[in-house]
Amino acid sequence: MMKVQRKSSLSAKAKHAAIAISALALLASAGTARASDPLPPDQELEAVTLPAPKPSWVFVDRGFASLGTFIYDTDTGKLLGLIETSDISDLAIDPAGKAYYVSESLWSKGWRGTRQDMITVYDPATLKLKTEIPIPGRILIDSRKFNFILSDEGKTAYVYNLDPASSVNVVDLAKGKFVKKIELPGCASMMAVTGIGFSALCSDGSLATVKTAGAKPEITRSAPFFSATNDPIFDNFGYDRAKQQVVFLSYTGQVYTAKLGATPTIAEPFSIQAAAGVPVGETKPLVVNWYPGARQGNAYHIASGHLYVLMHMGEYWSHKAAGTEIWDLDVAAKKVVRRIPLAEEAGRIAVTQEENAKIVVTNDVGNITILDAKTGEEKFKLEKSGSGILQTLEP
Amino acid sequence: MKTFNPDAMGEKLLRRFAGGTSRRGILARLGLALVAAPVFPVLPVSRASAAKPDRSPEAKTAFARSAQSKDDTKCDYWRYCAIDGSLCSCCGGAVNRCPPGAEHSPVSWVGTCINPDDGRAYLIAYRDCCGKAYCNKCDCDGTDRETQLYVPQLNNDVIWCFGTTSMEYHCSTAVLVGTA
Repeated sequence: MMKVQRKSSLSAKAKHAAIAISALALLASAGTARASDPLPPDQELEAVTLPAPKPSWVFVDRGFASLGTFIYDTDTGKLLGLIETSDISDLAIDPAGKAYYVSESLWSKGWRGTRQDMITVYDPATLKLKTEIPIPGRILIDSRKFNFILSDEGKTAYVYNLDPASSVNVVDLAKGKFVKKIELPGCASMMAVTGIGFSALCSDGSLATVKTAGAKPEITRSAPFFSATNDPIFDNFGYDRAKQQVVFLSYTGQVYTAKLGATPTIAEPFSIQAAAGVPVGETKPLVVNWYPGARQGNAYHIASGHLYVLMHMGEYWSHKAAGTEIWDLDVAAKKVVRRIPLAEEAGRIAVTQEENAKIVVTNDVGNITILDAKTGEEKFKLEKSGSGILQTLEP
Repeated sequence: MKTFNPDAMGEKLLRRFAGGTSRRGILARLGLALVAAPVFPVLPVSRASAAKPDRSPEAKTAFARSAQSKDDTKCDYWRYCAIDGSLCSCCGGAVNRCPPGAEHSPVSWVGTCINPDDGRAYLIAYRDCCGKAYCNKCDCDGTDRETQLYVPQLNNDVIWCFGTTSMEYHCSTAVLVGTA
């Protein structure tokens, strides 16, 4: 037995030596590889990882009935990755860049079986699933920015629900738990109100403010300030978390600013057309004028207070028409400081929150254009790259 | 073969009516109607309807001015003044019927559209057909009096597949409800 063992150990040593020699020979031959030699096989590598989200990034939903949200860097025009967003889902980005949250509805058998609503949490570096937080429901609609919002430095989420009665589901993201459902009849499109809860636009033309802390939520409404049926305010608007200020735009082109709080204050509106020196928008038919419009028709650059608006020529009730120009409105000065004509008309607009901001627009076929916000110069054009909602990192 | 016979229908209707009424009853009701008639014009409903809505080209939206009533597979068909999505009439269904296997949503958003033939405004229920993949044919987006999410019954972006076994959106129909 001993002999045999010694023999085998000797032969093992010889084998190792032989392998080492042949490996050395291989290495030596690799040094003098000829063009006709095959390429060596790739090593098994981990998937690429991402840094924390950057202000230069834009998040592009691929569009209705398409899955996934692309991340592009507006500095390079490069596609960095894809967040696994399901059909008719909503994406929210943690303000500290610690997570991507997807509010979504899935069924146990594709579109059949048991409905499951949840907030799915993704790791921002690996884009891998971290956890799921079940919620009792959410609205199904082509995505909008203000149906799924974060508050309290990313600790709380508000999820809008329509079944078809309207309500808001409050979720504690820190604990990963659904907290409560708040009935919100006649109101939608939420904006976080620091220390209070949230506000929402209402069908009676008011702004509702919901105090969420107590056992029973307290809902107060401002005096009506717009007509929800004659000149509605777009449910996409500018939101400044730090200043607790919002910028609303109506179908005719009226610009309202509001200071949020327990009792919000809403300033007298002004006309974006008047701010550009053209006739004020009207509700009468047969008046052809510049009107704001498109599916996601305005984007607010928070630091400078500029609202970038997709405008088109048409009659009233053309509020979904794609924009042929971008109007750069200095909201505080009530002045349109630049009009940028678009080579291709656009259905959606976003702006990066950098000092040297970039405007991102896309159209129905998913052609994305990245422009310099100051000069209007085209930086990149990305064909068939996503037609859905656009989002950027907001402070 | 059974054909459409208005005479037979009229006879049937009259016979049923005659069987269920008496001459005295008719006189009594006629008398009541005669007495009550002068009361109605003073009601506000009557006065409101007396002021006819303005249906002149100047009062119509761009959609209503160019709407047609012949081809319901085109976006400018009059009932589509506030529709959004694929037309079911292009997907194997009809203007008011779902394609095979799809389920009609019992609830909907609505629009008020003007029929170019009679100049009347009609209430249209845009009922989604559900339970099949997005048809993506004849996509239209009528926006007359279409508003935002805080008035959901007048918003055409919501997936209105409520009360159906599946909430998957297939296409949209335009069901005529009545005069507006």
